[in-house]
Amino acid sequence: MDEVVAEYIRRTVLKIPRDEILAVLRQWGFLSDTQLGAINLRQTKESISQEVVQLCEENSADLKQAAILDIIYNNIYPNKRMWSVYQMKKTGEETDLFDFSNFKKKFKGRLQSALKNVTISFREYEDNAIWIRIAWGTPYTKPNQYKTSYVVYHSQTPYVFISVSVLKSNLPLLCQALVVASNYHDIREMELRSHCLNSLKDIVFKRYSQNFQTHYPKQQKNVPTENVDVRIIQEDKSEKERIQRVNQEVFGDGPQPKLEFAQYKLETMFKSDPNMDVLERREPFRCLVKFSSPDLLESLKSLAPAGMADAPLSPLLTCIPQKARNYFKIRERKDVLPGSFVSP
Amino acid sequence: GVLAHLERLEAQARESALKQEEKEQQEQKLAGLKARVQELRARRDELRAKLERQQKGILEKEGVETDAEQPSARAVLEWKIRSMKDLLQLFYLTGISGKLTKRGVCFCISTAYEGTYLHSYYLDVLTKPEVQIQRHSVPTFIPLEQIARKHLQTDIRRFLAVLSDHLNAYAGRRYQADQLQERFSDRLEGTLQRNSLCNLLVFHYNISGHSRSFLFSAKLLYSDLCCSLPTEAIVSCTPNAPGELAEMAAAHSETFRRLALHKAFDSFSKAEVTQD
Repeated sequence: MDEVVAEYIRRTVLKIPRDEILAVLRQWGFLSDTQLGAINLRQTKESISQEVVQLCEENSADLKQAAILDIIYNNIYPNKRMWSVYQMKKTGEETDLFDFSNFKKKFKGRLQSALKNVTISFREYEDNAIWIRIAWGTPYTKPNQYKTSYVVYHSQTPYVFISVSVLKSNLPLLCQALVVASNYHDIREMELRSHCLNSLKDIVFKRYSQNFQTHYPKQQKNVPTENVDVRIIQEDKSEKERIQRVNQEVFGDGPQPKLEFAQYKLETMFKSDPNMDVLERREPFRCLVKFSSPDLLESLKSLAPAGMADAPLSPLLTCIPQKARNYFKIRERKDVLPGSFVSP
Repeated sequence: GVLAHLERLEAQARESALKQEEKEQQEQKLAGLKARVQELRARRDELRAKLERQQKGILEKEGVETDAEQPSARAVLEWKIRSMKDLLQLFYLTGISGKLTKRGVCFCISTAYEGTYLHSYYLDVLTKPEVQIQRHSVPTFIPLEQIARKHLQTDIRRFLAVLSDHLNAYAGRRYQADQLQERFSDRLEGTLQRNSLCNLLVFHYNISGHSRSFLFSAKLLYSDLCCSLPTEAIVSCTPNAPGELAEMAAAHSETFRRLALHKAFDSFSKAEVTQD
């Protein structure tokens, strides 16, 4: 077995938490059940990884297998990478009969005709997600298995999720191959980025809970009545109820998609008392506002009930899932440029 | 320390408050029941008196009131609410229902396949300044923009009908593919390859006959997105198989185009049984 492959497998196994190693290897399906049973999980992770490499040696693992293991690892732990969302456009209106084997052939063909030294691996998942792993080389060197990009694509949708860790110069190549393989004409990067891949999917596929008004009532959730002491009166009960209602209208009932930040680039004029005349030249005041949180949308949802902000919140904050973006450029009202959000 | 003591006092106070509340509630209940007993006693006396009067042969004019009970306003209202709810339920069951909102209408398209109710999809449509979709929960692989471009401005009913056709057909195709994987997993060799719209399925299945089993591969194409049956079904068997299998493959291809996927497999099982 190739030394490079052996080392790569060893390092991938080392990344997996001890308790999950067997589950991941089982999903990989390269080692038999008896082989998996023989692994001693009570030794150090270093030793476990060595043992796994030994077993892979017995089965003559090659680069292809190692790449699949890497895809499986990234599919189970996608939140370790930063994902960007890209949107493709097509002009034709023919029904798309998406064929996976056709897609693979076209993608590989396009990418390899431009850059020979790449390792391309595919894996299809039950939820119609196609994972693509690309290890990049240069026109003169073999692919470096540690310089990888990952693409997640759901067939017949215009959205692609890309995690490019290094070598941003290869991005145009990658985008072109995607467009050709999926029968689209154009691709552009959306202003939507996060570590949580599933939340990005929720936002663009509209899988998050939006509050739609219907006559047909959904199951009424029983609000648990706490053991309230009758002597305690809530002075602002009606206001609290109003905030709850407004919050529910805006955010819906279910959990919010998980984003880590929202960034607003302000290019607006500084408005001050004309007497003060802080800025002599009437130039836009450049300012960057960034909201960070482990779970931004949930924290925005809890601002009003916690009394830290007025309800309803500014639409600049609440439009994030619907506009599917968390990077905004705010210009003066008179500018109505496409791609920029005009501040109210 | 002091805080612990305060906590204990607070807990005690809370307990005694709860007990007091309970006691008060019970007393209220008791008073209520007592009042009800009085009420019923009065009613009983009234009826008794009425009975006596009737037996004496004297009909009171007011008796008519207690005989034919006028439906109270409340009962009428309750009946109205119930029949309205039934009507809304009926509309919901037909598949397309809507509710007026502040700025337009919120439509709900419910999908079903062969009597099984599946997912519902929503559209918030604004009517002013022009008809446009504000937000929706339709999956991205359904060509919503295309359908909207064609019909939304001109004929909203047509738009809803076309969209409902697309969604129902998709739900039907997906249901068939899921049923195939669930109920006929023993017949399938390898995985069922599908795509988001479930309009291209590729799978391998085995058919047993004459005490042997034969492997077939099928590729089903659904070019009509409003249809839940394939427009094309390519069935092939291994190249060195007996000639009659080619006939069988052709027959299967026809069956796939005619019957729902799981029903097609049901028919294969039946054919096998009759053969043996």
